[in-house]
Amino acid sequence: MGKDEVSVKKRRKLNTAATSDTTKQPPVDVYKRVVDFEEAEALSRPADKDANLFKKICQDIRQHFADISELKDKNSDEAKEKINSKRVEASLMLVALKKLNRLEKVRTRAGRDALHKEKQRVDSTHLQLQNLLYEADHLNKEVTKCLQFKSKDEEIELVPIDDFYKDAPADVSRPEITKKDEHQLQLARLEWELRQRRDLAGACSELVSSKERVGAAIAAARSRLDALGPHLNDVLKATKPLQECLALRLDEKRDESRAASLLPPPLFLLYANASAYSDALGVKTVTVGISGDEDEARRLEQVNNVDNGLVLSNDSDSDHDNNDDDQQKKKRHHRTAKVSKEEKTAAKKKEVLRKHPLNVQVSVKAQDGTALNLVFSYLLHLKVVVVKFTVSLPKPVTGVSAADVLNGHCILNELYPGDAGNDSPHPATSYLLQAAGISDDFPHFIPEVGKPYIWAQRMCGLDFMALVVDEKKTNKVIQPCPSLSVSTVEHFILTLKNRLKSRVALMKELQELESGKIVPVKGSPVRLSGSLTQWQSVGWPEYSQAPSTTFLISEGLVNSNDMLYRAIITRQSAKLVALVVLKSDYPKSAPIFSLTLFWNGTHHAGIDDDIRDIERVINTDWSLEDKQPSLTTQMTKLLTCLDILLETTGTSEFPPDKVMFQPVRGRNRVKPYKFIKQGNGIFVQY
Amino acid sequence: MLDKILYNTILCQTFSPCGKYLVAGNIYGQLAVFDLDRILNPVIELLTSDYNKPKQIHKIESGKQICSLITTDSFLIIGTINEITGWDWKAVTSGKWSKPAWTITIPVKSSMEQSDVNSLWLSEDEIKLFAGCGDNNIYAFNLEDGRLVTTYEGHSDYIHSIHGKSQQLISAGEDGLVLLWDERTGKSHSRLEPHANSKVSRPDIGKWVGAATLGDDWIVCGGGPRLSLWHLRSLDPVTAFDIADHGVHVAFFHDDCIVAGGASKHLYQLSYSGEVRVELPVSATTVYSAAMKTNPKVLAIAGSSSEIDLCTTFNYRDQVLHFR
Repeated sequence: MGKDEVSVKKRRKLNTAATSDTTKQPPVDVYKRVVDFEEAEALSRPADKDANLFKKICQDIRQHFADISELKDKNSDEAKEKINSKRVEASLMLVALKKLNRLEKVRTRAGRDALHKEKQRVDSTHLQLQNLLYEADHLNKEVTKCLQFKSKDEEIELVPIDDFYKDAPADVSRPEITKKDEHQLQLARLEWELRQRRDLAGACSELVSSKERVGAAIAAARSRLDALGPHLNDVLKATKPLQECLALRLDEKRDESRAASLLPPPLFLLYANASAYSDALGVKTVTVGISGDEDEARRLEQVNNVDNGLVLSNDSDSDHDNNDDDQQKKKRHHRTAKVSKEEKTAAKKKEVLRKHPLNVQVSVKAQDGTALNLVFSYLLHLKVVVVKFTVSLPKPVTGVSAADVLNGHCILNELYPGDAGNDSPHPATSYLLQAAGISDDFPHFIPEVGKPYIWAQRMCGLDFMALVVDEKKTNKVIQPCPSLSVSTVEHFILTLKNRLKSRVALMKELQELESGKIVPVKGSPVRLSGSLTQWQSVGWPEYSQAPSTTFLISEGLVNSNDMLYRAIITRQSAKLVALVVLKSDYPKSAPIFSLTLFWNGTHHAGIDDDIRDIERVINTDWSLEDKQPSLTTQMTKLLTCLDILLETTGTSEFPPDKVMFQPVRGRNRVKPYKFIKQGNGIFVQY
Repeated sequence: MLDKILYNTILCQTFSPCGKYLVAGNIYGQLAVFDLDRILNPVIELLTSDYNKPKQIHKIESGKQICSLITTDSFLIIGTINEITGWDWKAVTSGKWSKPAWTITIPVKSSMEQSDVNSLWLSEDEIKLFAGCGDNNIYAFNLEDGRLVTTYEGHSDYIHSIHGKSQQLISAGEDGLVLLWDERTGKSHSRLEPHANSKVSRPDIGKWVGAATLGDDWIVCGGGPRLSLWHLRSLDPVTAFDIADHGVHVAFFHDDCIVAGGASKHLYQLSYSGEVRVELPVSATTVYSAAMKTNPKVLAIAGSSSEIDLCTTFNYRDQVLHFR
């Protein structure tokens, strides 16, 4: 124990006086005080010195152990004593080590605490930084928002700056300030704008009121004019006896022009142009009139006006239709279903094919008094113009085929190439018919309503071709084009007059032919021995079945629209049957002949070259002739050719009568069909 | 008024020396050149709808009808009216058609008289050109200088066709005579009168003879009278062929066969004994020309129609060409 005290003493030397103090303190929580003391001690002592001390003590302990082991080897009492003292010393040293260790622990904890505190400080600073950054960002955004702000005044269209300085008074413009300060400039301009606008608004209201005043004045004048109407009528009535007395047509004209105002636009155009034309050319050529139910037309126009006033679309029409349907349904309640259905389709058809109650009548006269009366009607729903026609003749036509030439069907056929009037030229017609629930095509109704010739549409200023071209752009309603109508009316009337003239001439020719006469062409001294014994029109079936026509039909030169005739020419035992095709545009295109000869068997162009040669001469060889081929000249030529053919056969039945160089010539044994005026006339091959 | 080409009549045809082209002449003075290579061996990809139309249609200046055609190695010879013209084959096929290489004028007595060159025939050595003409004469011209060598006078009407073989010449005329000539002397040494023979005559059609051809031992001829085979030495009719026709315009020998056509629906190939070997239906009302070529085999039949029938086997009609 004495050794221990020594070591304690030693320690006391080492330790500060505080140690002794603590022990002396009353044992009120001694442990805590020890801990506090040790903590303070640990902080006050430098750590590295403690470390050195620790190392030194460890060295000492090792030394002590070595000494002890040495002493143990001696194994003496003295040694034992020494060992004991050494042991005590070593133990004390261990205590010192412990103390040092504790101090180190305390120090480590203190360091850790300090580190932790520092970390927390850093974290809070960081957080603060974040907050600040966010705030800065927000502020930036606000700034840009402010920068982008648009003031209401920017939308106002202002007077340009130059004008502003020029016009505005100095108290508004204040150039000395505004030239420097843009904001002030803006304010000044706005002020000027406001002032000006106020002035203009005032002017506007003034003008409106003056307009109202004028309107009122006009209304007053109109009512006065209306009151004048009955007076004028009275005056007109009073003049009637005078008019009748002087044979003036003033009233008629007036009636007609009143009716004209009720015409649908296309027909009005036609009427206007045709009547202008008739005024210019005189009533002898063209006369124009209006016929139909005027009251009905007026009613229709009123209905249209109301429709237009309400809605400018097709909806009103369809609504109207629905109402009608409903009413009809109610009426039909008592009848059987079948009848009502039939009636419905009939009514639909009637509605779709409805004509405008007024129509325009144009009559074109030829010189000999033959007149063609055309009645133009307008289909309200299908929006096409249809034509019906009658022909009036100054004297009755004898002969069946001759009369056919002048009937309306074929006189108007292909007046212009390809215009047979067999289908509606309006591209929308079939859709309109379908929409109305009518399954039949438009051509089905043509006999009923009239033919929709393209020239008729053009005369009324309707050009459907233009519509087709435009269709992709806009689906607009077709507007009649006045210039088209003007140009077409004149052309049409001329064409029709020519057609009529040529038809009248043809009719005369046919009349002659039908009575068996062939008027000899002037300057042809050739005696014709054959005679025309029959001339009559034939139908397409008969024509197409004849073997002589197969060639023409297969070449597509003849179709069932053409006028077909059969001529029979006889000379003694020879009989020549000629099937003749007259195209609609005769005499522009020559008649086409196909021949069959009955003599010594049957011959036609398909099996006999001689007949083929004659057909060639008649149908194609006009290049050498000066005049247009006409039916009569062709018939004359046919008779001549027949004579030559028969006379060159050399049989006694047909004695040679005509002068010819060579009766046959060439390997193809051609007969001399060509006539040369030399001496009395000679027939040659070429 | 119709286009006159609808009533086209082709009087003669010939092949080019190279065999690639068929040339046909019509009564309007037009000459159609058909490219046979393209027509017979068509390249499907290049086939157009007008492949069977002429490659070129030339028109001779005078516009007179082309009565006969014949070909030499370098020239196409055209017989028209009063005139025989030679054309360079290159010009004919290439389209550079302007003026003939040479012209021979038929000696006519007066300006009014017109003489069709109805038939041309070339001697085997291609030195002499024989022309059977509308003025009843046959002329022989030297092809080197165009000089008239011999005139063969004897027919009393125009000549339909001429042919020759080994120094002999045969001619058929509208007067109903078939004359045999010595090519060198220009004299006729024997004659046939088919219309006078009851076996072959057909008075309703006429006495004219449209075609006569010389074989080794045989003569074939026909026209108004029936197509008939005559023995050359005895001048006796051996066979009168019974075919449905209204006049013969074409008759010639080919490979132990007789090819004949005319105003009939068919072109016939007949054996010497009179059996019908082949009946070829034809487009033309009357056949005026049947041009035949072996290696490769082509038979072109033309007449009073704008169509030309083409047969590559001689047995049936393969193709129809359009001259329009």
